[in-house]
Amino acid sequence: MFAKLTRLKLQKTSIKQLFFYIILTLSATTSLYFVFHNHDFYDRPIAEVINTKTEKTTEMTDMNGNNDRQYFQKIVAEMKNGEYSGFEIQLTNEYSDSGAYDQEYQPGDELFVSVDDLKDDNKVLTGYIEDVKRDKYLMIIGWVFILLLLFVGKKQGLFSLITLGVNSIILSYALDIYLRSEGISLMIVCGIGVIFFTAISLLLVNGFNEKTYAAVAATLIVTFTTLLISFIVVKATSGNGLKYEEMQFLTRPYEMVFMAGILVGCLGAVMDVAITLSSSIFGLYEKDPAISIKALRKSGFDIGKDIMGTMTNILFFVYISGAIPMLILFFKNASPLGFTLSMNLSLEMARALTGGIGITLAIPIGIYTSIFFVNRKRAGQ
Amino acid sequence: MTVQLWLAAILFILMVGIGGKKGARSFVALFLNFGVLLLAIILMNDPHMNPIILTLFACVLISCISLFFISEINIKTVTAFISTIITTGALLFFILMLTDMAMIQGFSEEEIEEIGAFSLFVGVDFVKIGAAMIIMSTIGAIIDLSISISSPMREIYFHNPSISRKDLFISGLSIGRDILGTSTNTLFFAFFGGYMALLIWFKDLSYSIGEIVNSKVFSSEMIFIGSAGIGVALAIPVTSWITAYYLVKKRSG
Repeated sequence: MFAKLTRLKLQKTSIKQLFFYIILTLSATTSLYFVFHNHDFYDRPIAEVINTKTEKTTEMTDMNGNNDRQYFQKIVAEMKNGEYSGFEIQLTNEYSDSGAYDQEYQPGDELFVSVDDLKDDNKVLTGYIEDVKRDKYLMIIGWVFILLLLFVGKKQGLFSLITLGVNSIILSYALDIYLRSEGISLMIVCGIGVIFFTAISLLLVNGFNEKTYAAVAATLIVTFTTLLISFIVVKATSGNGLKYEEMQFLTRPYEMVFMAGILVGCLGAVMDVAITLSSSIFGLYEKDPAISIKALRKSGFDIGKDIMGTMTNILFFVYISGAIPMLILFFKNASPLGFTLSMNLSLEMARALTGGIGITLAIPIGIYTSIFFVNRKRAGQ
Repeated sequence: MTVQLWLAAILFILMVGIGGKKGARSFVALFLNFGVLLLAIILMNDPHMNPIILTLFACVLISCISLFFISEINIKTVTAFISTIITTGALLFFILMLTDMAMIQGFSEEEIEEIGAFSLFVGVDFVKIGAAMIIMSTIGAIIDLSISISSPMREIYFHNPSISRKDLFISGLSIGRDILGTSTNTLFFAFFGGYMALLIWFKDLSYSIGEIVNSKVFSSEMIFIGSAGIGVALAIPVTSWITAYYLVKKRSG
């Protein structure tokens, strides 16, 4: 029956859908065409590798006894933009087998280069490689992501894409406000941001109803409680064990940036738990409006216990995995285990654990807020 | 006591208080998983070991811990387990190709300053390590999604034992669709919480859009998020199909 319904629905909306798919294909192809031909939009000179020749290979052993091989590559490339467009340029590249900070270039790769001043007696352009043009790969993965989400998720996929888009715009805007104005704390900006994120993500997908209100209320209570807990712990131990010096990309007070990261980081997982619980509690209530509070609470906790383990895992892996290359570099440079772990994982551990606290707290708080809203709905009837 | 110990203690009390025995098992599983991850990373230091194979082994172990240790071995966890492994394997090829093409392996210009004292020629393949890192960061979300689909599918089958394989598959897809949004949201915020400093850095140093999208750090973070989303979306049809297949096979067999 379910399949029949879907098929009927398909026929009814087929023209609208067809139109949607055409627009989608058009925008995918134009944007992909654009990133493969956008050289003139860049001020920095771009060159496409035409052919390469590996000139020299050196075996090397570093001070810690690691064996690697280094290659010296001569590259001829064609300029794609700027005053020398169409000219050939000669470049050199050194790369190693490990490729920690270098890579082999192949014909077809596009590179940002800087061009040496052309001398009169020298007809060949020379220069050196600054970076790789990566925008096309971002566009490819972006479209694979969008199309797969739409293909698998249909309408819900579209809604999640819109939510992601709106949330990124809010995040970017919130950071702009923080950076432009003196004296506003990052925490306050992110705190207000969190309220918007929660309201938009939950209301857009689940609609305006008691179920969503319960989830929004629970999410906000839990997120700010979690932040408070981590704040108290950090203050009480005066940050003992947190190695802020490993924090990368710092231009602002580090403790604030770290705390704001915790606040935003656990938000998604907390929302997930809150809406899962309120959906199922309201689902049970709608099926049987006379259901007892005790029964609701019991099924709520049963569901909570089921999702607790796998949800805490999500954040754990997201945070810890990011440190893998750095951990390996430390180990390979003969750093002791304890030092390596505390230098590279102290903040990630704290983040993952705080996220876990948020998820676990979201279970009772999610259940009781939902029950509160169920009671209110009952009293109103 | 350090911050981490305090947080771990609070987490333990909460998990046991709220989840009872299962909560305690979930807490232990978290640290077992950490142990597996760490062991995999230490083994990756050996240049003769293939990081991709190591990652696949680690994923199998991690899925076992997260599914069979926290819950128990039953049709729900077994189908979730198989689906996780298949999704991870499929994702791995795609990611390996992309990390190689986009050249996002290893360390970025922005990171290189602080590791200046280290030798970078350490003889391990950072392209493969990069792919391993992306897979590892998604595995938690894939496991969560698989069990969240296979578990209600079993309930549907239980209440409606004569359901056809196709209808069961379709209801699996519709369950998956409902949780797709929250799962991508969870990952999105988790990543952005971690990248807060980077985003502020880009804005503070007024990078142009062109510089941001082509920089190694930004593109690798975006490929992270994209791959995680792709993994989650991929897990939905895979889990629905496998669970439908096994449940109906059990009936006829």
